[in-house]
Amino acid sequence: MNLSRIIILARRVAQQLVADKRTLALIIVVPVILLTVAGVLIRVEPSGLTIAVVNQDEGLTVGSQSVNLGDRLTENLQNFDIFQTKLMDADDAKQKIEDGELDAVITLPPDFSAQAAQSRQLNLNVQFEGSNPTVAERLRNAFERVGDQALAGLATLQTGTDSGGGNSSTAAIETNLQATYLNGGPEFDTLDYTASALIGVFVFLFVFILTSISFLRERLAGTLERLQATPIQPLEIIIGYMLGFLIFGLLQGVITLLYTVFVLNIHYHGNLLNVFVIESLLVVVSVNLGIFLSTFARNEFQVLQFIPLVVVTQVFLGGVLWPIEEMPGWLQPIAYMMPLTHANTALRAIMMTGESLGGVWVQIAALVAIGAAVIGLSARTAGRVRM
Amino acid sequence: MTNTENEPVKIEGVYKKFGSVVALHGLSLTIRRGEIFGVLGPNGAGKSTLIRSIVGLIKPDQGRVVVLGEAMPNKPILSRLGYMTQASALYDDLTVRQNVAFFAGLMGCKDDAKIQAALDLVELAHRADSPIRTLSGGMRQRVSLASVMAHQPEIILLDEPTVGVDPQLRAQFWAHFRRLTEQGITIIVSSHVMDEAERCDRLGFIRGGQLLAEGSADALRQQAGKSNLEDAFLWFAQQKGAVQ
Repeated sequence: MNLSRIIILARRVAQQLVADKRTLALIIVVPVILLTVAGVLIRVEPSGLTIAVVNQDEGLTVGSQSVNLGDRLTENLQNFDIFQTKLMDADDAKQKIEDGELDAVITLPPDFSAQAAQSRQLNLNVQFEGSNPTVAERLRNAFERVGDQALAGLATLQTGTDSGGGNSSTAAIETNLQATYLNGGPEFDTLDYTASALIGVFVFLFVFILTSISFLRERLAGTLERLQATPIQPLEIIIGYMLGFLIFGLLQGVITLLYTVFVLNIHYHGNLLNVFVIESLLVVVSVNLGIFLSTFARNEFQVLQFIPLVVVTQVFLGGVLWPIEEMPGWLQPIAYMMPLTHANTALRAIMMTGESLGGVWVQIAALVAIGAAVIGLSARTAGRVRM
Repeated sequence: MTNTENEPVKIEGVYKKFGSVVALHGLSLTIRRGEIFGVLGPNGAGKSTLIRSIVGLIKPDQGRVVVLGEAMPNKPILSRLGYMTQASALYDDLTVRQNVAFFAGLMGCKDDAKIQAALDLVELAHRADSPIRTLSGGMRQRVSLASVMAHQPEIILLDEPTVGVDPQLRAQFWAHFRRLTEQGITIIVSSHVMDEAERCDRLGFIRGGQLLAEGSADALRQQAGKSNLEDAFLWFAQQKGAVQ
């Protein structure tokens, strides 16, 4: 192993990228555009939606006070302007949701208040029209927010009881209905969840594309043969590539991170260094996967076919969009073999809850193991001039 | 006992097969120090395979290649060699100087003066900071040559270096090769152009992965009883065919 040769190779990889101004610009501009689009789409308020409330709540009388949670909730829903709320009876609502005039029906049963007071939580019985899953998803999010608001309003609900003394009405006991979140909370939205993972996806995608194409070019242009006629070893080539791309991967990471935190206003509680550690591991995996897979391509078109295979599969299975726990059992082991799965989990933990590196050691260990495996694969193929 | 000082390259019964194609068929050859040795033969004769096995890019199935006293493939010995591939293998986005410095650097040469000297030699100092993609084919060949010489190798291997190079530049190349041999540098050059062969000190005629004959151009013509090298080549090819 010769450090000087590794540095010479890393410098050349960097020089090539600096010389290619357009690619360099795209590395920064593309993630910013995609993050912006994702931000707009995820944060857009639903409009033109109509829901019905069937309020049968009989309320609750405690001592001299009567409380009707159903009425309060309905009021809260009507104050929400992202959908129109109509009050109607059960039959009417049933008819209209079948006709497609309603997107959802919330039924509040006669004992709604009583149940809420007893179980100390709101159970919303919602029937979605459901033919458009994204509408249902949006409404579900909205209802959760409304529910939180209603709960906030009810936090000081007075359910006065007889304290056993003479003046029963003055001795009031507070009942707090609380919605608790383990992580995040109502102020966290889907973008916080998605953007933190996307930062990893972009680094992976960009390094993978650049490595696989530059390495293929080394082969096609004959420079790889030239390299092999020098004392440089395959492992030195690989490490040089990793170092060269690491600089730009991290540069892209910083810029996308600053953009998502300060322009898209996602919630960020992380430590930049911890983010860098995860991203560096991703770069290592990505560079080696790029070198390895470029061996199986004879031209640029073929290399491009690997992008959907390697990157899109990982976006689908890596927990970027859908949680892995909700995947079918046979798919989960495959998901856990993907480097992006672990990187996403780690980046989310670091960025959303300010987790330390020790707190994501499982993910780090998984990335290191995957990294070692792909280095083994790429070291075997980097030496081959022709397939 | 191999005399590595005066016989920097020894090829001993090298046999190499790619799939079902025999590229080198038990070929033996000794190259002397300070000579320009021409490997001559038609396309597909095994010229590139021979050169690539000297550089250690190909491991022989049988026999061995000894370069500067070491059996190839041998990575450390490569820094004392310079290998110019058939097509100019350079990085298009990088400048002339960056390319030359990169390859010289991998050979362990970081001396800016030597890199500048190589650029001067191929008369490209004025384009040192131009990206390769802006250069003509002939200029690229010159950059390629500069990038295999900057680290001052003891043996230079050139695989058809003058393909696509105009006559004037070709003359410059050969004049330069001659100057290098005067410094004791050994040059092995492959070609299928017979008039280039005239400029070599000794030649090896190759066909079907076998050595048909070796010697100076004059000696080969005399032996064949022909007035030009092309006829001589055909005569040797026929002789070999008759023997088989």
